[in-house]
Formats: sequence, C-alpha cells, structure tokens
Amino acid sequence: MKLGFLLAITAAALLSGPLNAPVVSVDPNTIGQAPVTSWPTFNGDYSGERYSTITQITPENVNHLDANWVYRIAEVGAQRGAPVPIIKCTPLLVNGVLYMTIPDHLWALDARTGKELWHYDWVDHGGHLVGQRGVGIWKTTLFFLTPDNWLIALDANTGKELWKKNYADARKQYFSTSAPLIVKSHVIVGVGGDAMDMPGFLDSFDPVTGDLQWTWWSTPRRGDPALKTWPNERASDHGGGMTWMPGTYDPGLNLLYWPTGNTNPVFAGQGRPGANLWTESIVALDADTGKLKWYFQVSPHDTHDFDNTTAPILFDRTVDGKPEKLLAQAARNGFFVTLDRVTGKYVVVKPYVPLDYSSGLSPQGEPIPIPDKDPSVGGSINIVNASNWPAPAYSPKTGFAYVNSVEGKAIYYLTDDSDKPSGYGGTGVGIGRAVRVLQAIDPLTGNAAWKHAYPNLNNAPTTVGPSILTTAGNLLISGDDQKNLIIFSADKGQILWHHELTANESGGIITYLLDGKQYIVFGAGDSLYAWSLRE
Amino acid sequence: MRILKCLLALAGSAACAALVAVSQEAQTGGQEGTQEQNYQKMTPAQRAEATRTFLGLGAVPDKAAAARGAPLFASKCADCHGKTARGAIAPSLITSDLVLGDDHGEHLAPFLKKGIPGKGMPAFARMSDRQLTDIAEFLHLQVEDVANRGAYHVLNIVVGDAVRGKKYVDSHCMSCHKPDALLHIASKFRSPEQLQRGWIWPSRDVHLIAEVKTSAGTISGRVIELSDFSVSLVDTAGEAHTIDRNFGAEIQIHDPLAAHQQIVMTLTNEDMHNVTAYLETLK
Repeated sequence: MKLGFLLAITAAALLSGPLNAPVVSVDPNTIGQAPVTSWPTFNGDYSGERYSTITQITPENVNHLDANWVYRIAEVGAQRGAPVPIIKCTPLLVNGVLYMTIPDHLWALDARTGKELWHYDWVDHGGHLVGQRGVGIWKTTLFFLTPDNWLIALDANTGKELWKKNYADARKQYFSTSAPLIVKSHVIVGVGGDAMDMPGFLDSFDPVTGDLQWTWWSTPRRGDPALKTWPNERASDHGGGMTWMPGTYDPGLNLLYWPTGNTNPVFAGQGRPGANLWTESIVALDADTGKLKWYFQVSPHDTHDFDNTTAPILFDRTVDGKPEKLLAQAARNGFFVTLDRVTGKYVVVKPYVPLDYSSGLSPQGEPIPIPDKDPSVGGSINIVNASNWPAPAYSPKTGFAYVNSVEGKAIYYLTDDSDKPSGYGGTGVGIGRAVRVLQAIDPLTGNAAWKHAYPNLNNAPTTVGPSILTTAGNLLISGDDQKNLIIFSADKGQILWHHELTANESGGIITYLLDGKQYIVFGAGDSLYAWSLRE
Repeated sequence: MRILKCLLALAGSAACAALVAVSQEAQTGGQEGTQEQNYQKMTPAQRAEATRTFLGLGAVPDKAAAARGAPLFASKCADCHGKTARGAIAPSLITSDLVLGDDHGEHLAPFLKKGIPGKGMPAFARMSDRQLTDIAEFLHLQVEDVANRGAYHVLNIVVGDAVRGKKYVDSHCMSCHKPDALLHIASKFRSPEQLQRGWIWPSRDVHLIAEVKTSAGTISGRVIELSDFSVSLVDTAGEAHTIDRNFGAEIQIHDPLAAHQQIVMTLTNEDMHNVTAYLETLK
C-alpha cells in the first residue's frame, strides 16, 4: 500500500511538469567560474568580460551558422509606454533551461527546443517599463525585479512565487530594470529612477528569507566626510546615483565593483556645487557588509546625464613584469578608464571619442569638466553619451576591451535656471551626425587597436548597442542598428559573417555548450534566437 | 550651391522639429527607449502625455483645481515652503513622501486640517475640503513640472551678441553661401531654438551622394540605404539600385553637409549664441 502510494506520488510529480524537463539547480560557489555548459549570471561569470573559452565555432566554419529555433513573444502585446515587447535581458542558461525576461514577464524555455516550460506574469502598480536585464539564480531559486521595485523569489523549476519584497517606492519614481547579482548568500539589487531627485542605493538580501542584509547609499549620509562634495545634506539626500545595472565581483578580494548613475538634478548643477560623490563613480564595496573600500569618480559634478552605468570589466594582466589586477570601463562620458582594482588608483584615463569638455585630469586621474560646457539657457554643445548599458567585452586572448561607441554631439539647454532646480532641469537635442563605432581598445594605453564605423544613413540610436560577446575562437559577436547580427574577428575587426534579423539585436549575447554543441543565443526585438552550426 | 538650396529648403519648411523631450530616451543618453521618433511628430501636449505614460507618473494633476490652489498656496504656505514648494525655511514639498503618496488630496487634505503643531506646521482647520484639495492639486502640478520632462520647454535662448555673430557669419559662412542666403531666415523658423538647430544642421532634404564602381560600371545617385553589406541609391533618372557590397564594390560617399558637421564638432558656445542672436535679427 505504502509503496504504491509513494510510486503514485512520484509518477504524479513526474507527470506534472513537461516530460523530460531538466531539474535546475545552481551551486552559488560555481557562479564565478568560466561559463561553458551554463550561463548562470548576467555577465556569464563575475568578471564582466563576456568572454567564452568555447572554440567550436570558428572563423572558418562560421558560415555554417543556422537558426536552431526562435522563440517569439506572442502573448504580451503593447505595454505601458512600449508598443512592442523588446528583449533587453541577458538570458541565463542552467541545466538546459533558458530564463528570459521583459518588464513584468519571465519565461523558462527548454534550451533544446525553444518551447516554453512556464511563464510568470507580474501585474505592476507603477514604475517605468523601459527594460528588464534578466534574472539571478541561487540554488533552485530565481530572483526577478519588477518595474515597481519588488524582488520576487521564484522556484526555478516551476515558476511558483516563493516570497516577494518591496525595496523602493515607485511613487518616488524609483523603478527597477536590473538583474540581481548573486554572490555567495547575497542577492544584490540595484535601482533606477532619476525623475524626482531621490538617492540611489544598493541592497543585499538573504536568498532564503528575503531579509535585508545591508544597504549602501550612493550619496553620503550625516557625518560622512564625503558630504563636503555637496553643498548640504539635503542636496546629498536627493543627489541621485542610481545603481540600475549589475556590477561585477572579485571573489579573491571579496569586492563588488558597482557603476553609479547620474547626479540629480540631472542637467541643472547650479544647486549642487561640488564633485557630488559617489554619483558617476565606480565604487568598490565589501560584498558581505556593503562598506565602501574605494571609489573612482569618472564624472565629477556631472551635468550631462553621463550616467556612469557601463560595466566595469575585471581582468588580470602582467604590467612591467608584475601581475596586476585591473578594472576597465568605457565610460559613458567618453573616457576609457583603467584602474588598479585593489586600490582604485588609476592606470589609464583617456578619451575614446572626440571630446572637448575636459581641461585635464585631477591628480587622482578624474576628468576635470570645463564649466562653459555645462548646459545653459542659450545652449551648450557637448558630446552625446559615448556608450550605454549594452554589454562591452574583454578578450584575454587579444588583450583588448571592446565597446560599441557613439561619436556625436548634442545641444544641452538649461530649462530651469532657478537656484533650486529639481528633476532634470534641462534637456538635450542631438545635432549633426552621430556615428556608431565598434572599438577594440588596449586597456593599458587607452588607444584603439582597431575601429569599425558602421555605415548608416541614419544617426546612431540612443541605445548605443548592441551588446558584445567574444570567444576563444577569435569571434566578436555584435551587430549594427540595421538588423544585422555581425560576427567580426576579435583580433582584427574583419567581418566574418552576418545575418539580417527581423529587429536589431537588443539584449545580451550568450554562448554555451549543450549536448556538446555550441549555441549562440540572443534577443532581437520580440524574439529570442538560438543559433548553432548546421549538422 | 547644393548646400545653399538645402538651407533655404529647411528655412522654408521650418519643420526641423527638435527633440525637446529628452530623457532616458533621447539622443544624449539614458536607459534608452523606443519613442524618440514619435516624439518629434507630437504636439507639446501630446509629448507631455506620452512622457507621463512612459514614465508611469501616476495620477494626472487637475489643472483647474491647481490654478485655484495657487493663490491659496501663495498666501498660506509659500512663506515657509517657497513659492514653487521647493523649500525655504521649511522643507521642499515636491519630494515629500506625503505629497508623492497622494493622488488627489485624499491624504493631504486630512493632513493639512491637522498639521503638525509641535513641529511648526500649522493646522488649516478652517479651510474647506475643496480649498485643501486645491492646494494638494497645486502641489501635484509642481511635482509634474519637475518629473515630467516631456513638458519642459527651453527658456529665451537668444543670449548672444548679434554684432559678433555677424562677424562670425561673414568670416565662416559666406565662402559657401550666397550673400542673400540668410535673408529673412529668422521668420522661417517657429522659434529661436529651431533657428539655432536649423542653421547649425540644415539636414532637411539633404542626401548623401554615392558613386559606386562595380564590375558592371559606375552608378551614382542619392543614398537611400547604407550598411556594411549593401548600398541603395536613386540615380538622376530616378531609378533605384541596390548594390551588394560583398562583391568588391568601390564606394565614394559625398556628404553635402560635411562643412556643417565640421561646425558641429568645433563650434564654441559663444559663437553659437552670437550667430543665433544675429540671425534672429534677420526677420
């Protein structure tokens, strides 16, 4: 009797899910390893290099790439402010299951077929549906952020909600687009939203209970010496510095490296004289306590929405015969920054697009802005953002950092010239041609080893994408903004292959081995594509 | 000559709509977006509404009520909280939790009735519910003015010196443009901002010209599409051609706006303001 009952339960359990559905589980201690048969975190591993050691697809056989399957989002339709769904996530791949998101929606797909295993649908109450970058996974629990700032824990095998926690108020214009970063037993969650002069922060939650472990604020609180970079405590309390992109992590140093967004008020800086720490910075935080170890401010006193959220990439190199732990960022303010990631001291700070708004570097290596280039009532010409959130990459094989950049200008107007500006307080209007340029930059000099300007009749779009992935097979996978997925040679920048899709590549590109076969998976518009070599 | 024609065509149409609703979406940066093309075709009211929806800004302030609330706020509240509620001796109200948590006075009106007497915030017990709601709507409109960047508008951008602007024009522009090219230019734009944008970048009806050499011969015409992989153009006879670039086509591109792109990349703010001030006198 008892045995029969047990068998019945087992059979029911087996039948309740799709047949042969793999069982998903991730040991958090394995997340930092080179991703080969999985892609278990936003950047594949903690380094942000987006480099794969897989060599099955090569420049020689790349012409045999073929679509394995395509999953199109059919049932969502227009969302508030977004007429069609656009996949801006980097999917995760674990035990043969892909996890893909758009705002308010999370899908688990069978990576072998592209068939839906389950779909989680969140009904938001506010927030900005501009994008969703993906999920994090800890053991068998997925973590998903909603536009109205709920951290949702779900069973990775069933999509059932385990618990949820609200960590920011959408009525204050906080909204969330990020992918949580899972480090040991920490679920690290950033936030966006710069319409109402709120302070940015980073929260760490317990993956089992959802209890808050620590909070790091992007601007200093009472008693902190960094308050001297603000005119007063009130300005600091409303100073922005959102944390809306996932950071990177060095397990050896136990340091998180987080990029912080633009200062508030955004374009109107007259009410906040000073450098405005720690907005527009790269900060190194202790992963267990959230305590600040060091910072490097990429755009002191920003007034151009330079929003320093491009990934800080971690890589190791031998410099003058000595092994060095370094960090590089192709910052949105147009400077390429290489730092010693142990100390935060700068190695290289150099423009990678034509710019003339800086008079030089401070002794710490921080670009010094020219006040005349600030937004003004009559208009001020300055560069557009030189990069943005789409992922850059680094190849240890070539030693180059890769970024899709934009060379272009805008006129920035101050629309609020009062002594108490608030919100954006200004606006920017693109002027002239804006050209997208893929660059391979030597992070030890800041010089481009090669550049590829994408020919286009139209100006570069604001997204400054798409994302980049490089492989040990000398591939650099990216695309233009005319719907072409393009594979370049990583060492020379030669076009090896391209394919016209139905939309621009719009999220992160990942690769992995599944059943011994190398896949390239990416979102373009409302569709997720899985490519592999023809048999 | 071609540049001149383009400049006049642009001035005549005055349609070089500037993207004012910048944002996360605009050409300057942000998390990006899909709407900027649409923004350019919108009226200011539509743009404000679209931005409000896109940002998820919540309840729309009642403008009539806010207008009634304005004098009440000015007489009862502005001394301590500032005339636009951004704070004076008392805190800013536009970032206040209570204000941002309220839609149409349902929380604010009862609060204002009681005040916080211990902390110097008086009770407005004698004001009617309608008056208190009107004050709440006035506050929501102040929030809207800040949070809805689609409703922003530029100030008076004519800040330059017209005499110096004329000098710049005489020395920089007249080698390409005819002397009468700028006649009445200011009257052809809807605003000084559009004039400023229009003279720096007169892009309307300007096309790149390509000359493509293939094994079959040479074709030239205005470019319709251009990528790493193909070029499409319309020749002078009006015939469309698409050339696959994979077969070694040699392409020369001529940009009629090359001189203006040079201006974009090197213009100082002072010269920009001065030239706009000068051209603004050419009504």
